[in-house]
Amino acid sequence: MVNLTIDDKQVTVPKDATIFDAAKAAGIRIPILCHDKKLHPFGGCRMCLVEVEQMKGRQIPACTTPVTEGMIVRTTTDEIIKARKMVLELLLLKHPIDCPVCDAAGDCDLQNLTYEYKVNANRFQDEKFQHKIDYENPLIERDMNRCIHCGKCARICDEIVSFGAYTFMNRGIEAKIGTEFDGPLNCEFCGSCVSVCPVGALVSRPFKFKARWWSLNKVKSVCSYCGTGCQLTLGVKDNKVLTTIYDENQGFHNGQLCTRGRFGYQFVNSDKRLSTPLIRKNGTLQPASWDEALTLVSAKLVEAKNAGGKSVAGLVTPRLTNEELFLIKKLFKDGLGSDSIDHSAGYAHAALTAGAAESFGSAASPSVISDIQNADLLLVVKTDAYETHPVVGFEINLGVKRKEIDLRIISDKRGKLSKLPKAVTYVHKPGQEVALVNALAQVLLADNLQDSTATGVEGFEGLKQQLEAFAPEKIAAACGLDADTIKTLARDYAKAAKALIILPLGLGYPGHGKALAQALANLALLSGKVGKEGCGVLFLGEKNNSQGAADLGIYPTAGGADADAILAGCQSGSIKTLIVAGENPVVSYPDRKRVEAALDKVEFLVVQDLFLTETAAKAHVVLPACSFAEKSGTFTSVGRAVQQVNQAIKPVGEARSDFAILNGLLAGLTGNAPYADAAAVFAEIAATVPAYAGLTIAGLGDTGAILPVTVKPRFVAAETAAVTAESGKFALVTGSALYHCGTMSRFGEGPMHVCPEGYVELGRDDAQALNVKDGDTVAVKSASGELRLKAKVGTRMPQGVVFAPYHFDEASVNSIAVGAPVTWVSISK
Amino acid sequence: MSNAPAEEIPTADIDLEAANHVIDKYLTLPGNLMPVLQGIQDEYGYVPKPTIDLVAERLNVYPSQIYGVLTFYAQFHLKPRGRFIIRVCVGTACHVQGAPRIVETFFDKLGIGHAETTPDLRFTFEKVACLGACGMAPLAMVNDSTYGSMTVQKVGDIIADYSQRPMKK
Ligand code: SF4
Ligand code: SF4
Ligand code: SF4
Ligand code: FES
Ligand code: FES
Repeated sequence: MVNLTIDDKQVTVPKDATIFDAAKAAGIRIPILCHDKKLHPFGGCRMCLVEVEQMKGRQIPACTTPVTEGMIVRTTTDEIIKARKMVLELLLLKHPIDCPVCDAAGDCDLQNLTYEYKVNANRFQDEKFQHKIDYENPLIERDMNRCIHCGKCARICDEIVSFGAYTFMNRGIEAKIGTEFDGPLNCEFCGSCVSVCPVGALVSRPFKFKARWWSLNKVKSVCSYCGTGCQLTLGVKDNKVLTTIYDENQGFHNGQLCTRGRFGYQFVNSDKRLSTPLIRKNGTLQPASWDEALTLVSAKLVEAKNAGGKSVAGLVTPRLTNEELFLIKKLFKDGLGSDSIDHSAGYAHAALTAGAAESFGSAASPSVISDIQNADLLLVVKTDAYETHPVVGFEINLGVKRKEIDLRIISDKRGKLSKLPKAVTYVHKPGQEVALVNALAQVLLADNLQDSTATGVEGFEGLKQQLEAFAPEKIAAACGLDADTIKTLARDYAKAAKALIILPLGLGYPGHGKALAQALANLALLSGKVGKEGCGVLFLGEKNNSQGAADLGIYPTAGGADADAILAGCQSGSIKTLIVAGENPVVSYPDRKRVEAALDKVEFLVVQDLFLTETAAKAHVVLPACSFAEKSGTFTSVGRAVQQVNQAIKPVGEARSDFAILNGLLAGLTGNAPYADAAAVFAEIAATVPAYAGLTIAGLGDTGAILPVTVKPRFVAAETAAVTAESGKFALVTGSALYHCGTMSRFGEGPMHVCPEGYVELGRDDAQALNVKDGDTVAVKSASGELRLKAKVGTRMPQGVVFAPYHFDEASVNSIAVGAPVTWVSISK
Repeated sequence: MSNAPAEEIPTADIDLEAANHVIDKYLTLPGNLMPVLQGIQDEYGYVPKPTIDLVAERLNVYPSQIYGVLTFYAQFHLKPRGRFIIRVCVGTACHVQGAPRIVETFFDKLGIGHAETTPDLRFTFEKVACLGACGMAPLAMVNDSTYGSMTVQKVGDIIADYSQRPMKK
């Protein structure tokens, strides 16, 4: 620690602190323009000048100068104020000062400092910039005339996002922030640059001219897309969510968001939202009152209950709050007497509910998000972890670049993570993940690298035997990696003091199920890397509340039917009533034909959703539900973080929250009084779900809580499924596109502007052989169907392997993929 | 990684082989970006866009960063350059001796302006500051050859002369 004096205050700070940090710790504000706590110090703007007595009163930038023992600092002498005024005058010289039409007004550091330092006349004169404004992309407007050259956009895009869209170009007075070839911005559109720009040089186009900054009501919540659990602040006015607001103090991610979180909020106030309940009459869905709809649903449910409950089932999205999930589980168990309730087709969560549950003793990750940056080595399964959970991706970027974490990726394709410094990507043949991970475990045993704790774990002998078949030499050819490479990876993993495994889950990744989770668990347990900081396995649940759905038992626990069996039951007629809450099986579950046929057979299909989805269109009753912005409750994200969701707007139109719908139905069926509110349900969750014991909603505060987990390790042999290559065909692997998450993002303008339709991605060599160019439409044909998709040609895909994201309705990939990790397809123009 | 429309770049198909050779040569050298870009410019006469993408991919640097370097140093050219680079001095001495008229005549006869290249890639024209040979004002240069005491007549002669010369180096 170092002691120093700032404006006569004694401060003690760590020795790597800067004067700026020290002042902040002492509650003294030093104005900044180019500094950002998340970025490397830059020292470009000179706004933060202070005087240091030991340096004979010389003015130095506080944001870059490290503290030294006994330093005496003054932050606001007359000289300093003069200097800061001068900095502002020089900046205003070129700045257009078009505040009346600038969206940053009110939230602009330059405007605020100009006001604070009373710079109302300029001693200098110069011409203004004449840069062309970049209106080309739909999300970010770039007006370089307003730029003050703080470099924050370029730095954040490099340091955290690792996209590197911007650079300083030209020299001298011509210098400006530019993109490659000074062309229009064409990037990930995460909006990080917009969020840190201190002025209005980078603004969000969807928010442009929507509202003045100071007129917005700001409500803290949690992103409702992926499982990362990013906190966000919604900017609300007139019952509309108009924007997301950057708050560098929110969450583990310091306010960073991905494109979905930042620009995908428009689904909330989308004009495609359902405005009233719908009831099928004479074959078509017609508007109805809530009374009519609920009376009908209740009657059918009572019928189902009286019939013993076996004929009713539920498919529930893990996007609901914990409280809603609790209610629907209770509705099925206590209200209807049915255990047939599931989410995400069973594929997307089996890694947790079956894999982790058996291997670690509970359906949760033994690791948390902060383990990423605390690891020495990261073993990521599939580069797709960046696409499925982009802000987890930022954590990986930061860890690799700042802490030199050794990044190893086993993947069927290359990706953005592969480009990080020194990252090694082991590109294996599609569908060979389990075999490869088993081989890694086999090497640990063969080399005697297992931890001393491993031999005592149940199932050790059995595992040892099973793994004999997975010696690297035996599986190398099938995996497409040579045996020595596999051995090196295994040894490096074992030898790292702290190593974390990351596994993204989701409907697009049918191979990331129980077996893969168990193979990874075995590897971590064998090397003793569980239950320690920077170690373990981090399962990335696909949706915002995937972990909550696992915690609350939204999967068949007592012999009920899982999603697959539910669909079979619908088909065979044993399931007559189906409640679909927020799921869209038609587009997202494997084998679209089968799903549609099954749903068409159901006697009574109720769908609760925000939109008339492909699934809702088949319903007998459609109930308009609410988005996350219209409700309060909790989500549990990756790494077991429970966080509060706060209602920002009143329900849109006649919509009612799933909470209200389920609460009413439950009370009707059981005769019990409805729950008062989310807090009352949360109290019951805390009383019945051990991990939540002792928690209250109010007690979660802004930071949330990390649920405890106790690991009861067990070795379970991970079974491999045979992958039989079909000659002359391509291996199609499915997954998530960076801009989308599930099928909800299709109703967000942002994601749809950037990535409006499905595509098939192929490598350059394959494209050349097929004579296919980027943007051509190609026919992709599998045993179960044919699709026409736009071709995307790039460098990511190995020869013979193609990728398609799921999300989309038109050209939905599930009409050719039926749930196997690899689908063999032929491609033609 | 994005689907936003890429900027249309008017490039004839560029053969990347020479660029790949240059990259191979410096691949393991630390700080290899500058020599690679110089090497590519030597090969192609400018730095074509596809080679920037290639360098970005093979050296794992952002294309934007390469663009930043290319625009920072005056020595780099992003557009194809003519086989013959005509430079006319517009320094003070040359100016007084009538450089503006020489410049105008070149513009007229070549049909291009400052820092532009004829469509057939034969000529690039540039105005430059004092070339340090004020005694020969007004001064012009074509590649490495110097032409002193320029006149309007001589402009025609120079163009005629270089129009006959082979395009191959
Ligand atoms: S939106 Fe994100 S990826 Fe695009 S330039 Fe800004 S920071 Fe970079
Ligand atoms: S665009 Fe904004 S963030 Fe980027 S340098 Fe200019 S002022 Fe700074
Ligand atoms: S989609 Fe996921 S990564 Fe992106 S902002 Fe939302 S929670 Fe964060
Ligand atoms: S904030 Fe310190 S120099 Fe810009
Ligand atoms: S002014 Fe033309 S050579 Fe000096």
